[in-house]
Amino acid sequence: MKLKICGMKYQENIEQVAALQPDYLGFIFYEKSARHFDTVIPELSKSIKKTGVFVDADLEFVIKKINTHNLQAVQLHGNESPEYCEALRHAELDSASHKKDKNLKQFQIDEKLEIIKVFSIKNEFNFDVLKPYENVVDYFLFDTKGKLPGGNGYTFDWNVLNNYPSTKPFFLSGGIGIEQTLDIKKFKKSKASKYCYAIDVNSKFEIEPGLKNIELLKEFKNKLSNNKMNYNVNEKGYYGEFGGAFIPEMLYPNVEELRQNYLKIMAEPDFKKEFDQLLKDYVGRPSPLYFAKRLSEKYNTKIYLKREDLNHTGAHKINNTIGQILMAKRLGKTRIIAETGAGQHGVATATVCALMGLECIVYMGEIDIARQAPNVARMKMLGATVVPALSGSRTLKDATNEAIRDWINNPVNTHYIIGSAIGPHPYPDMVTRFQSVISEEIKWQLKEQEGRENPDYVVACIGGGSNAAGTYYHYLHEEDVNIIAVEAAGLGIDSGESAATSVLGKEGIIHGCKTLLMQTKDGQITEPYSISAGLDYPGVGPMHAHLSKTGRAQFMSITDSDAMAAGLELSKLEGIIPAIETSHALAIFEHKKFKPNDVVVVSLSGRGDKDLNTYIDYFKL
Amino acid sequence: MNRIQTKLKEDKKLLSIYFTAGYPSINDTVSIIQNLEKNGVNMIEIGLPFSDPLADGPTIQASSTQALKNGMTTEVLFNQLKDIRKTVSIPLIIMGYFNPMLQYGVEAFCKKCQEIGIDGLIIPDLPVDVYHEEYQAIFEKYGLINVFLITPQTSVERINFIDSISNGFIYMVSSASTTGAQSGFGDEQTNYFERIDKMNLNNPQIIGFGISNNETFRQATQYAKGAIIGSAFVKHVSNKGVNNISDFVKSILN
Ligand SMILES: Cc1ncc(COP(=O)(O)O)c(C=O)c1O
Repeated sequence: MKLKICGMKYQENIEQVAALQPDYLGFIFYEKSARHFDTVIPELSKSIKKTGVFVDADLEFVIKKINTHNLQAVQLHGNESPEYCEALRHAELDSASHKKDKNLKQFQIDEKLEIIKVFSIKNEFNFDVLKPYENVVDYFLFDTKGKLPGGNGYTFDWNVLNNYPSTKPFFLSGGIGIEQTLDIKKFKKSKASKYCYAIDVNSKFEIEPGLKNIELLKEFKNKLSNNKMNYNVNEKGYYGEFGGAFIPEMLYPNVEELRQNYLKIMAEPDFKKEFDQLLKDYVGRPSPLYFAKRLSEKYNTKIYLKREDLNHTGAHKINNTIGQILMAKRLGKTRIIAETGAGQHGVATATVCALMGLECIVYMGEIDIARQAPNVARMKMLGATVVPALSGSRTLKDATNEAIRDWINNPVNTHYIIGSAIGPHPYPDMVTRFQSVISEEIKWQLKEQEGRENPDYVVACIGGGSNAAGTYYHYLHEEDVNIIAVEAAGLGIDSGESAATSVLGKEGIIHGCKTLLMQTKDGQITEPYSISAGLDYPGVGPMHAHLSKTGRAQFMSITDSDAMAAGLELSKLEGIIPAIETSHALAIFEHKKFKPNDVVVVSLSGRGDKDLNTYIDYFKL
Repeated sequence: MNRIQTKLKEDKKLLSIYFTAGYPSINDTVSIIQNLEKNGVNMIEIGLPFSDPLADGPTIQASSTQALKNGMTTEVLFNQLKDIRKTVSIPLIIMGYFNPMLQYGVEAFCKKCQEIGIDGLIIPDLPVDVYHEEYQAIFEKYGLINVFLITPQTSVERINFIDSISNGFIYMVSSASTTGAQSGFGDEQTNYFERIDKMNLNNPQIIGFGISNNETFRQATQYAKGAIIGSAFVKHVSNKGVNNISDFVKSILN
């Protein structure tokens, strides 16, 4: 939300306030006000909009002030009529920033005078009075109704705005002080704030009328921006309290080498070029964003499928392995190791190793080798060595342990390509960045199809969380986009046979990172269960632990049987056989109702070829 | 002075033995400790088993899995050890992964260690930096010495940093590997032992990983204050049971 600081008066004070970089500074041109402005505005940063505040002034007077002070916005505080606003909008302005230049169209648009019309609210408000102004002003501003035209020093009941009928952005004003920080935070989460564009402050931040308290403003601004949660990794490798690098000293040099280089390498034009080129020509990106018409009809909402299943090798996993193999080459590594559960990541790794001519060793739990035989054969054809993990429960968790042990034993020439947004920092962030191409594409594809970049919902299944991280990435800080994370409930949350980490997990350490994980009360990691080998992981990437803890994402758990049914349904309705992992994400439509106009984008993370045997057994096909 | 520090002052090479608590059977813990001391071992690392021991090779992995199956937990171990100081006086160190300690509560864990008479901790997956920033004060409050690992790949700056925050000994991992017996040390290892020896660090070094017999013990202690044997001992008790510990210790010390 933007910040407007109003009622500026004194030169030096104006400069100090401007240094805090508010979005608007207000100057009151009203003689009866204690904050009446009658001097010269000092040179201000271009990003600050100088706003003139008027109360039933003559149009000529307003225009003169706009021209003299080079105002970018006008705030009308009296009983100005719609006609008045209209006249102002079409007035010939001759100040430098409003000179009409027919050749500079962009310039004109950017520099258009903004008109803000004020309405005062007591405990109720008849919103009908806004209607005639809809087409002649840029913003509304809601102030507290009191004796004075503004500056009464107390707030109105913001719940009144629950009934705001318009879509025009508005300024929230009236007696806002530092003590409202929490209320503002709450307000921001409420429906009433949907069109709130800016917060307007004045008298509560003054030493005397017109003289602003810089320290207090600074504190307010910090508090407001601190309230803005960061969902990306911080410089120490944490997402909130989750993440970090809890690794034995033996791994420190490898992980540190990667940490120091990954952002630098990813930013190299050379690297970007090669990465983009391979994604395009080898993987087949961009993957389509497909409007699933029949599925949408069935659930009476607008469902789009992001077709990662159409990537080479059949899932999103290859976005990451392409990125990491290029990284490994630039780090001078000659030997690649990986872990795999379903075999999708193993195949994607074996594929890029074949492409680059590097040695490839894939660790896979003995049990998974048995249940994912076609992928084992693929890896072998691609020239990889598949090593069975015989320890522990002989599934994904143990394959990961074995890969880490291999890395400990081969610290110099080997790069470990982790297959999900898990592991010690910088892995979760690096994998997320490689997968972020998914949401990067959704943005422009949705713009083309729906006329807007932001859907109402993004949905993805979560094993470790790499397809989800990529699908959410560019939407993490877009407040109007709801995030849904789908975990595998296995036979049911309370069955003892589940992989729903956000429900069953507790903070702990797995594979080098602090996150939510399923464990005994004694801290031993427990074995998850899901029909889908790719969701069968006792932890979840640290980004998702943070999204769960902060409530930014809604977590849902889907049972084996619901997932299988959803997989069959998509096959029949759209002619797309999804991976069983993906079927979990598709199953939410049976459990959550969306509005007819909601745009819901689901990450179709992979295709079902690898799961045919499971589908055949399950449905007795 | 902490028992570890006192022991390090003694003018001799030290033999330290690791075993997995709860293995071969759940109630072997105390008798293994007593037997080791009786047979002349100078220091003991009690392994608190973990489901996912990343830094361990197959022998210790298998013993950990079995110990957990036998019912070993943090609580059980603390109960078994509650009277240990009535009969045992050599330094005792608990070696384990961080997650079980985190779940027990780091401070509660440290407090319990102090009550029992544990002298130090080795936690391979608690990085030096995190220890330094978050936990050092707690460890010190309860008089516990935390022991850090270095490897052939650890940089000189990092070794110096580790040396500066250590107050017992430095655990020198013999080679880039997980735990487990190797077939003797080559030039690469002895060069590394010599290089570290020449750094004249404040804390003495004890070498571990890959020490399995008299020969490797002697090689290691030529350059360091002592050596730690883990997998070879675990194998021994797995084959010969807990009543033949003297044979094993004799074979190392000759
Ligand atoms: C098709 C598909 N989707 C999803 C997943 C889960 O992994 P992640 O959570 O990292 O996207 C897998 C893992 O194997 C997969 O193959």
